[in-house]
Amino acid sequence: MSKVWAVIRREFVERVRSKWFLVSTVLGPLFMLAVTILPGALMSRSGRVNQIVLMDEGSGDFSERLKTQLVSSGRFQVQLFPTEAGRAQTVRDSLTDAVRTEEIDGFLSVSPATLETGVAEYQGRNVSSLRDMALLEGALRRSVITERLMRRGVDPGMVQEAQRGIDLRTLRITKRGATGESGMTTFFLGYGVGIILYMIILIYGINVMRSVLEEKQTRIIEVLVSSLRPFQLMLGKVIGVGGVGLFQFAIWTGTGYLVVHFRAQILGALHVSAAQISQLTFPTIGAYLIAVVGAYFLLGYLLYAALFAVVGASVTADSEAQQAQQPVMMLLVFSLIVSFAALNEPAGQLAVVTSMIPFSSPIIMPVRVATSDVPTAQLALSLGISAATVLLVVWLSARVYRIGILMYGKRPNVKELWRWARQS
Amino acid sequence: MSEPNVVAVSGIAKRFAGHVAVADLSLRVPKGAVYGLLGPNGAGKTTTIRMIMNITMPDEGTIELFGDRMGGRHHSARIGYLPEERGLYRKMRVRDMLVFLAEAKGVTRARGAAKADEWLSRLDLAEWGGRKVEELSKGMQQKVQFIGTMLHEPELLILDEPFAGLDPINQQVLKDIIVHLSRSGTTIIFSTHQMDVAEKICDHVCIIAAGTKVLDGALTEVKRVHGGTHVAVAFEDAAAGASAMAAVRDLVATADDSGVSAELTLKSGVEPQQLLELLVGSGARLRRFEHVEPSLNRIFLDKVGAAAAEPSGEVAHE
Repeated sequence: MSKVWAVIRREFVERVRSKWFLVSTVLGPLFMLAVTILPGALMSRSGRVNQIVLMDEGSGDFSERLKTQLVSSGRFQVQLFPTEAGRAQTVRDSLTDAVRTEEIDGFLSVSPATLETGVAEYQGRNVSSLRDMALLEGALRRSVITERLMRRGVDPGMVQEAQRGIDLRTLRITKRGATGESGMTTFFLGYGVGIILYMIILIYGINVMRSVLEEKQTRIIEVLVSSLRPFQLMLGKVIGVGGVGLFQFAIWTGTGYLVVHFRAQILGALHVSAAQISQLTFPTIGAYLIAVVGAYFLLGYLLYAALFAVVGASVTADSEAQQAQQPVMMLLVFSLIVSFAALNEPAGQLAVVTSMIPFSSPIIMPVRVATSDVPTAQLALSLGISAATVLLVVWLSARVYRIGILMYGKRPNVKELWRWARQS
Repeated sequence: MSEPNVVAVSGIAKRFAGHVAVADLSLRVPKGAVYGLLGPNGAGKTTTIRMIMNITMPDEGTIELFGDRMGGRHHSARIGYLPEERGLYRKMRVRDMLVFLAEAKGVTRARGAAKADEWLSRLDLAEWGGRKVEELSKGMQQKVQFIGTMLHEPELLILDEPFAGLDPINQQVLKDIIVHLSRSGTTIIFSTHQMDVAEKICDHVCIIAAGTKVLDGALTEVKRVHGGTHVAVAFEDAAAGASAMAAVRDLVATADDSGVSAELTLKSGVEPQQLLELLVGSGARLRRFEHVEPSLNRIFLDKVGAAAAEPSGEVAHE
């Protein structure tokens, strides 16, 4: 229909031309990077070296070796403080004061008993730094094990050899064979798929709502519905806005592909060494995953766009829209939260069930597909349920929309919306 | 077949939440007419137009357009519509928006663009075509919206209060366009409560009040049938006018008394001659005595009266 085409074109061209589109296309990936990388980067930032006191109640050489271990991690500057057993409490009190006045960051107390029981105590201001505490615990464990073995007469050289670090490399195997992807890359791939689908469905769903509301508020709707059927208008609007979403998504994935493909050149220009570059692994994104993400983007977007269109059609003022959109937003937010659980256990019961429910499946199922092998039967069932629901919801929404766009004044409740849907 | 009616409304009624907006309204708009839908605020003009346009459905009655009941949207390519509530996409460029409105009526992009340019320059808006709608003054926006109703060269133009909010210069521009379109065969329906405008350009009128028809027909016929006998009089001074008016009170149905002059509607059966005799007999010095054709405004006031003119506000959708 040429009229629907005119609506599609208007929605698409006017949006792509706007400043908003330019800004969100550029800032979107930056925001994504910030969300995925920043927390990790901030946590692992080297920061200040911890000044700690190693309080030793007579364990002798052990504390010396522990000190060396700690210093070699590069995160601790250690002052050894031998203490007689009787004065332990007094020393502890004064060290606690020193922590309080920020002279030191904390203190670790070891005693001969530490070697027997493996129990040591650290008190400090920085105990919530998971990375530092892990280093502390690691150094302590290695020292204790070395000490125990040496006391049993094991050769120190052999002990050192036994202690050499291990590196578990997790690699993902799918039905199509080994992928060469690490567990971490798979996790981030699933995480990225979930977040991108959530954002793009939400952003463009709200765009549909705003577009419906604008036509209502400017009253141009009356001219439009005298020329087009409301369904043609809604269809054109949803397709046009969705087209912008796909277009933006294409720009992002295209840029992403180029960045990954030319990463050596890009990082080289940023003075990152070749050795570091070779350590970076990127997930291979197959055509299968792209097809699944694309299909669920379409289904999810259509479903939510229809719901947002109803929200837009049933209100008159922006402030009302803010409120009325809440239930729809909650459905999406819920899906995103569950997707985090699905990342950890892609074949778990929660993930399987929510990947069948049409309101959460558009986010959960692609996350599952990105991180695990989803049985084809499950995928087909989920797609089927989703498609059927989309048809039903779009049909119902169009009926409510048709009445709502010409209604001004009091916001209708659910009962009235239902009455509109049934009106001939 | 008699003269073909472009619009034939039969017994339509519309109620909103217990409020009757239109009750049993029938009207016929002949092809080529300039048809004035007249009535006070809240009379049901907009509701009637919306039902003709297929935006709302009548609770009762039927509406025929171009001889069938397919509805306004079905014939939308043949109809241009200017709603009472004006609205345009504020962020769109004027020309793009006009092209879109034309496309919504089934006109091709190229044709829509050509027509948009033609009308923009005709209404002195050519240099505004590339600007955003929100940069235009309100008057200019009205003109743009008016252009939007004509790009597809409709056979029927329905304008809801087209003159509201326009300055006298633009009112004249609009009147000229309506007359021009009418001469080239377009049927035009417009609603207004400005009787002087309607009187100048309508050849058919329908006066409605409180949702029901008061009268309708060709303007000349309406004046002949419903006008009654009208006499314009003027006196030497206001005192003379007052005494004279008192003397003739029994012969007069209604008087639009302005002191030194008055427009009188005589009671039925009373001849102007009788009035003149009484006036002369009263001794008041006359400056003018003329048997005149009644103004549409006069008929409107007489027929609608004070009761229906209660300001209840235009019926909105509730």
